[in-house]
Parts: sequence; structure tokens; C-alpha cells
Amino acid sequence: MRMKKVLAGIMSVSMLAALTACGTKTTDEGTTTTAGGNDAAATTAAADGGAAEPVETAAPASGEDVTIKFSWWGGDSRHEATQNAVNAFMEKNPNIKVDVNFGAWSGWEDSMSTSFYAGTAPDVNQINWNWITNYSSDGSIFLDMNKVSNTFDLTQYSQAALDQCTTAGELQAIPVSMTGRIFYWNESTFANAGVAVPTSLEELYAAGEAFKTNLGDDYYPLALGEYDRMILMVYYLESVYGKAWVVDGQLNYTAEEIAKGLEFIDSLEEKHVTPTIATILGDGAESLDKNPKWMEGKYAGIFEWDSSASKFNSALNEGQTLVVGDYFKDMGDYQGGYSKVSLAFAITETTPYPTECAMLMQYLLNDPEGTAIMASERGIPLSAAAKENCLSQGLLNEMVAEANGKVLDWVQFPLDTQFENSKLKGNPDGVYYDALGGLSYDEYDYATAAQILIDGISDVLAG
Amino acid sequence: MNYTQLQKVGTVVKYIILILVGFIMVYPLIWMVGATFKTNNEIFSNLTPFTAHPTLDGYKNAMNDYGGKINIFKAMLNTYSYVLPKVIFTVISATVTAYGFGRFKFIGKGVLFSVLMATLFLPQVVMNVPQFILYNKFNWVDSDLYLPLIIPSLFAFDTYFVFMIIQFLRGIPRELDEAATIDGCNAIQTLILVICPMLKPAIVSCALFQFMWSSNDYMGPLLYVKTPENYPAAIFVRLSMDADTGFEWNRVLAVSLISIIPSLVVFFCAQKQFIEGVSAGSVKG
Repeated sequence: MRMKKVLAGIMSVSMLAALTACGTKTTDEGTTTTAGGNDAAATTAAADGGAAEPVETAAPASGEDVTIKFSWWGGDSRHEATQNAVNAFMEKNPNIKVDVNFGAWSGWEDSMSTSFYAGTAPDVNQINWNWITNYSSDGSIFLDMNKVSNTFDLTQYSQAALDQCTTAGELQAIPVSMTGRIFYWNESTFANAGVAVPTSLEELYAAGEAFKTNLGDDYYPLALGEYDRMILMVYYLESVYGKAWVVDGQLNYTAEEIAKGLEFIDSLEEKHVTPTIATILGDGAESLDKNPKWMEGKYAGIFEWDSSASKFNSALNEGQTLVVGDYFKDMGDYQGGYSKVSLAFAITETTPYPTECAMLMQYLLNDPEGTAIMASERGIPLSAAAKENCLSQGLLNEMVAEANGKVLDWVQFPLDTQFENSKLKGNPDGVYYDALGGLSYDEYDYATAAQILIDGISDVLAG
Repeated sequence: MNYTQLQKVGTVVKYIILILVGFIMVYPLIWMVGATFKTNNEIFSNLTPFTAHPTLDGYKNAMNDYGGKINIFKAMLNTYSYVLPKVIFTVISATVTAYGFGRFKFIGKGVLFSVLMATLFLPQVVMNVPQFILYNKFNWVDSDLYLPLIIPSLFAFDTYFVFMIIQFLRGIPRELDEAATIDGCNAIQTLILVICPMLKPAIVSCALFQFMWSSNDYMGPLLYVKTPENYPAAIFVRLSMDADTGFEWNRVLAVSLISIIPSLVVFFCAQKQFIEGVSAGSVKG
């Protein structure tokens, strides 16, 4: 009997091993060299990606019949707009057939990463910004857009934006839009409390007091979850110290400095500006836009992505008005906060038709006709031509456009690619949740919470 | 109060409790039906299934056909076009495998059985990438016939069902096999004519489980179905769910409700057999 068990154990382990071995081997064959560790990635990058290659002359629009695949995730209106744009593109270029593949975000990354590794990914893909570093840190998955710059107009993008998508010396994707966090205020509640919408930290503190006395203990001018607090804290620290959160893969702040940021977050709770984490969790809602207290206007402010405005706006009960807030000038001497690439389009290295893919992207992102159909389905377009075109035709959601404009005018700091690492951002096991949740629950003092952040972040940055 | 009266009171009390508990169990489903007529705002603030501002938008939007590529009915049809073969193949392959392990002696049986059982503990996530690469080599990914979803069930891929049927088989006396042999049945005839009728409850629950799991499976189709025209209901339901800009829950709930109707019908039809099958394996005869 024991013999059998041992045998079974050995068999199952060897089966597993066989499976894994199978996996790695084929991966290597499928694409050039996707294999594992960062070191390997770095060397390959130096070997085949580092040197600037000549502009590829991939048979410019040969007129042959070709079929390319295009994938994206999103919701109903994005599916519709993008399909319309793709159909219009096919009408204009009858020799190019575009097969589409679209779905919801949930599970999409798993599905895409599998096909990246298997070498079967569609030719043009909507990607998340961090996919570049996650899957193609050596440049082996996504095509260097510089190679198709004859077809795709790179001049519509600022160098800073393109730099954010440059990894291993290759421009691996084209950012479609940028997004950042900004304040939104429920004007109606502020009116009820008898105070104006805050434009400075001082006014926000005053609003906290006014809410408490005029409206009641349930009312708060700003609701912040754990992750919101983390982002706001970084915004605050950057405003005070004027340096980026992470520089060259190293956390750029000391424990004392971070403790000061935590103190700031704590002061918001103390001055009745924001409810405690316990209160928010006690509301029993999965997120703030599904929280009845937000709908009723008891929580009168959020610090959210500019692109999420419509979600929070439509959640409100009738008769309430949401307005885009301003960044606070009295937080520090510098302009803190960051913006990130919200979405990007990338061509896979495996595509046989890079020029045609670039034509599609050019149509969707820069062409007056294509951008008018796409409008703001993927945020406020970053391409100068597209933005101007959409603005002149009045195609952009006003609130989102206003918020996006304010964000891009204000923020100066880049986002570290690891800031949204799931080990940090994960709910509820992430480091941010641990530190800021614990602080709100009074389980940690400033020094302990700061140390938890430093340890967790350094750990992730060290890879 | 005499005995009959007492009994009546007892029955009434029992029924009240049963109805109460039953209502609590069914409540989420009732709420879901009500919620298909609500707006987002009410869905998250109203616990009752009733609504102050009923809207049919959910159902109207449920008919969205994504540029003529896919609509809810086509998606449901797609679902059943691979779920039904999968169920049939699973039942056949699991029964045959279980019969082999349950009734025959052959070299290496113990080891093979242990290996089979070991795969029971192998989580699907571990197999995703190797499987994908394998099916990709066969050129099965995005096959119009849903090959990567159906073919594994031909080889008793779902060990759980093999295990379940073996357990059930142990309760069926070997004397029956022997009697069949004496009457001139060969092994296959014994299986089909004698064992299978006895196994019916186990087979029904195996079919039902596979039916439910396959209809609800999201990751499988997401990996292997890349053409919108072939999307099954599980993917279709989520198509409109954009976490970033928000979406209308009433539409998602309406689509879900419509797409679970066939599953509910199947379950109610097979309920009796199903309950028998689940409990029968646990008692040894």
C-alpha cells in the first residue's frame, strides 16, 4: 500500500514536471525568447533590441488581400464604436479584412497573456500600459512602432508620452489616452452644508467641520478607500517634497517623509473630512459608486480617475450635480500628482502585415474620420490631431474632457510601472491596504505603517 | 387537543418553517428578477424586489447584437452546441473508465488509479498554458467546432465524475455481472444492459453537474473562442461590463436571467434523479 502511494506521488510529480517542461519549451519556440527572468530579458534586449534598426520597408500597402486581427476589451459603447470604425476602415481599404475579437475586462489579461506566450495573439491589440513591462520587457512580444513610422504618424504624440511606452529601447505601443486622479465634488451637498466647493486644503478642512455641524455626523466632504488614500498621499508628498515617488527603481522617500504623508491622511480622518475605513466597509458596498451614501450625497467628494467621472456621476440620485474639482495649491510648493497611460495599442511582433496593422492604428487614432467614430470611447484622445478633431466636432464628454484637461495641465510626475503591482494594490492583501487600512484602524502608528510601505514597495521594486 | 389535532398543528408549523426558509433561499433569485427592471441607482440602494421607477431598458439592451455579430439567442445556441456534446461524451467516457477500474483486474491498475485520482487535485489554472499550447499545435484554438472544449471530455478528462461513478459502482453487487455472464453477456453487453440502468442516478447527476459547470465556464471559452460570432452565453453576459466607465446592471441581470432559463428547466426536469444520485453514492448497499 505504502509502495503504491509513493509510486502515485512520483508519477503525479513527474506528470506535473512534464507539463511544465512542455510549457516552457513551446514558449521558446512560439516567440523568439520570452523565457523567464529579468536578466535574460535584459541581455536579449541589449542583443537584438538595443541597436536602432533601420526603418522597415514592409511592402507599403501592397494592395494584396490580407486579413488582420484586432482585439480589445471594454463595454457596450466601446464595442459598438470600435466595430463601426473598423467597418469604415475596411470600406476605405477593401483589400484589408479586419477580424475583431472583443470582450469584457474580466479574465481578458489571462486570455491575452496566454496567447502572447503561445505566439497566437491578434495582430493589433488594445493593451494595458503595464503589459509592456510584464510581457515584453525585452521587446519580443510587441513590434517597435518606429519601424512603421512611415505609416503611423508619431508626431501627433508628445515625446514624454511616447517615452512612457518605450521599453528595451523600442517604442512598443502607442498610448491612446492618459489619465490621472482628480477631485470630484457633489456640489449639491456642499450647497446644503453652506460651504463652497473647496479649492484648497484649508477649505477642505473647513468643509469637514461645516459638514459635521450643519449636516450631521454621517456627512463627509470626501470619501477615500485605502488605495485612494495611497494615491492622495503620494500626491501630497510630491507636492511637499517635489520629487517623484520612485526613481530608477528605488523608493525616493524616507521613512520620516512617508510618516508625514500618513499623518496628513490621518488628519483628514480627524477633521471629519473623510470617513474611517471601518465606516466605508460598514456601508457594505463593493466600491464607492455602488455605495448608497455616495448616491444620496452623504459622501460629497471623491479622488478618482478622470475617466471614471461618468460612472460616479450616473450613480448619483436625481437632482445632484457633480463638478470637477481643482488641485489644491496649498498642499506644498510643488505640483504633485501623476498621470498614467490608461490604454495603449500595440502590434504584435508575430504579425505578417505590420504595415497594414499600422494603417489600421493610424485610422483609429489619428485619422479625422476614424477618430470621430472612436471619439472618447477610450478616454480623451492623446493624439493631438484626434483631440482637436473631436473637440471641434463636440464629441467629447464635457466633464471627462474638463477633468482630463486639468489633470494633464497640472501633474508633472511620472507613474512608476510597479506602482500598480498587484502585490501592492491587491485588495485586500496588498501592501497599501495593509498600511493604510491598519492606520485607519489605529493598529499601526505612523512609523510602523511607513515601514510596512517601505518594506513592501522595496520588495516589489527589487523584483 | 387530541392527537389528530396536534398532528395538524405540527404539520402547519413545519410548513410555515419550510416556506419561510424556502423563501429566504429563493429570495436572491426573486430579487434578481426584480432588479432587471431597476436602474443602477436602485439596484444598489433597494433591498426589495420592487421598484419605484420600473424600466424595460435592461431587456431592450439585452437584445443588443454587437453589429450583427452575436446576440443573446445565438450565444445561448452556441453554449449548447458545445455543452450538449460535452455532457454526452463525459457520461460515456466516465462510465466506461469507471467500469474498467471498478470491475476489471489488469496490470498496473493500482498505480493508474492513483494517478487518475491525483489529477483530481490538479487545479485548472496550472493546466491552462500547457493545454493552450497543445491545442494551439493541433490548430484547435478558435475552432468553429469548439474542439478544445469538447474533445477532452471524450477521454474522461473530468476525473471527478469517474470517481463518483466508481463509488456508485461499488454499491452494485457483482452477482449481477456474474448472472449476466452466465446468461451469455460479454463485458460490453453487461455494461450496457445491466450496469447502466442501475447506474442511472449517478449518470444523471454526472450529466447535470457537467451541464451546469460547462454552461457557467467562463475561462475555457475565453481562451479558446476568439470569434465574436461563436461566443457562448457566459462571455456574452459579460460583454457590456466595463469596470472603468461603468455599465447598466439591469442589462447584465436581464441577460443572465434569460440565459439561465434552459438550465433551470433542465434542473427541474431531472431534479428527482439528481437528488437520488447525489445521495446514493454515499450509502453502500
